[in-house]
Amino acid sequence: MGRNLRTWLPVAVVPAVVIIGALTVPLQAGAAVDLPDKTPAQVLAMIGDSSVQALSGTIEQTSELGLPELPSAGTGSGSNAGTGASASASSALELLTGSHTARIYVDGPDNLRVQIMDRLAERDLVRNATDLWMYNSKDNTALHVALPDPVGMTGPSTDSAQQTPAQQTPAQLAERMLAAIDPSTAVSVGKDTRVAGRTAYELRLTPRTDETLVGEVSIAVDSETGMPLRVEVLARGQSAPAFSLAYSTLSLTAPDADRFEFTPPAGASVEEKALPDASALHEKMSDAAMPGIEDGKMPTTKAEAKALAEQFKSGGGMLPGVSVAGTGWASVVELPAGTVSADVLADPMLAQVTESVDGGRLLSSALINVLVTDDGRVFAGSVPSARLQAAAVGG
Amino acid sequence: MPSDIQPSDIQPSDIQPSDIQPSDTRSSDTRSGNTPGAGPIESVGRASGWALMVSELTVLFRRRRTWAMLLALAAVPVLIAVAVRLTSSPVAPGRGPPFLDRVTQNGLFVAITAMVVCIPLFLPLTIGVVAGDTIAGEAGLGTLRYLLVAPAGRVRLLVVKYAGAAVFCLAATLTIVVSGAAIGAALFPVGPVTLLSGDTIGVGESVLRSLLIAGYVTVSMLGLSAIGLFISTLTDVPVGAMAATIVVSVVSQVLDALPQLDWLHPWLFSHYWLDFADLLRQPIEWSSFGTNALLQGGYLLVFGALAYGRFVTKDILS
Repeated sequence: MGRNLRTWLPVAVVPAVVIIGALTVPLQAGAAVDLPDKTPAQVLAMIGDSSVQALSGTIEQTSELGLPELPSAGTGSGSNAGTGASASASSALELLTGSHTARIYVDGPDNLRVQIMDRLAERDLVRNATDLWMYNSKDNTALHVALPDPVGMTGPSTDSAQQTPAQQTPAQLAERMLAAIDPSTAVSVGKDTRVAGRTAYELRLTPRTDETLVGEVSIAVDSETGMPLRVEVLARGQSAPAFSLAYSTLSLTAPDADRFEFTPPAGASVEEKALPDASALHEKMSDAAMPGIEDGKMPTTKAEAKALAEQFKSGGGMLPGVSVAGTGWASVVELPAGTVSADVLADPMLAQVTESVDGGRLLSSALINVLVTDDGRVFAGSVPSARLQAAAVGG
Repeated sequence: MPSDIQPSDIQPSDIQPSDIQPSDTRSSDTRSGNTPGAGPIESVGRASGWALMVSELTVLFRRRRTWAMLLALAAVPVLIAVAVRLTSSPVAPGRGPPFLDRVTQNGLFVAITAMVVCIPLFLPLTIGVVAGDTIAGEAGLGTLRYLLVAPAGRVRLLVVKYAGAAVFCLAATLTIVVSGAAIGAALFPVGPVTLLSGDTIGVGESVLRSLLIAGYVTVSMLGLSAIGLFISTLTDVPVGAMAATIVVSVVSQVLDALPQLDWLHPWLFSHYWLDFADLLRQPIEWSSFGTNALLQGGYLLVFGALAYGRFVTKDILS
């Protein structure tokens, strides 16, 4: 027995050491950090002052929205929209709702490369001074957009080019979130933390109202450069973030110039696409086609910002009659009757991802609820479903 | 224990019926040739360790079963290449196994497609057979106790057996890569290779990357080999150990496919098996290589320790 014990002791120790090591090493990465104290305003100013021009890094995105698993391809059946548009919409939805790892390379305002690393596949977005390329290794297709001459290029066209969901860097997402800061939100600086090996301040935005599903938005800001390193959105009553976008590695040296060169590989099918005219887009935006957005004013609430982003996503096509009820976090966006056609309502896909409620079908997630009424109106907001139903009856 | 039998003269594994061939005497020659000249005990130990390793590998790779398994693995890329060559209609992108549509443009992709096809089942199957056979096979044939009479000792025997299984992992993956590249070059044009990122690399670099992939997959299989070695110490029935090892690999992959077990996935030894594709990005994403190696190392330590504990305290009756 004694011999057995002497033999088994090291045998028990090795797995124990391995398991303890596996559990504690990741914890050390989050060991306590102590930075000089700053006020929320100072941290905000740091973000504003941030002037990172070149970087290469890895971004991890996780979403725990509580949505049913969506098939990632072939969802275009039964919709009256073109299959291409519907496929790109479902791919955008998949980008937002799934978990992804992407590598990002930036050098100056003109050079960008994003590589979304799927299992056994990759989606690439390459932008340099004159070209914008999107490449998908799964079906070996490339999309090419010739960018206008950078000298004559105006602001809005760059903006619209950067609104593709694939390109949401933490910086852009944080800016959109910060646009939502108004008296409806309590802003505080949380515990100093460490993201991607860099020390960071944590800016916490807490809605003052109880009527929203959003519990807290947390932004980790690099203590050295003021660059947002991580954005987390917590749903009310959840401890794990419902949505998180964070750098896992980051280097601020300029990436290899080769990263921004792209020639479509032999055998790939290449599609050429013209850029929507930038000035026309800008005029349309100022047309006040959307109540709630004044000429040239930045969106002030999250819902407005979201609606604005939606418009950019849909390729600049403005939907007349969109209205916003409520303010701040509890805003409800209403799209008019006919937005969703009858055959889409009858689509089994819709029935599969939504649940039937009084007056329509509800798509419920941890952060956003969407109600599609039987007459085709759409109500969306970061509010409990009962408020959407009330808005539907009231409107 | 029969004391009149000289341990160094006996090559226990040679007794296997299927392996009795005239050239078998060579392995015991090597071994007895190495041992006598050594003076200090330390060098005796080391020499006999290497001799044991050499004889283990000789026995392993002279076995008909090993060759049959390697041939079966080599047949996978051949089958894929011939099937693609004979079909008149081009393979649509996104259909069938990944990279299948690239095969017609570039023969070097045959090896990669074959690797994707082999990793979930065929490769674990062959490795389960070899790793499950390590100790239980000797015990089942009644040769284990003769092996242990040698000054080598149980720990050294365990290490040598595991190293043999690891060498087989490398041989198996290299078989797929080499046979895939050969049949691909024979049936399809060979040229610059398109990576997942859309960049292209030359033939030379693509050969290098293929070898890297073989290395990655070999490392991926080390954890399973350690599990097989441990299971092999538990039983005297080699078929049971082989089947159990294969079942473990299937169970791990099933668990990996369940989204409800998200938290468990990074700890499964099969979780990073298909991430060898990270070597096909530009630039190469090394992080999965590192994570995978660390994970497999952890499995190796844990199951190596368990195998050691079990084997050292085991009563060897056969």
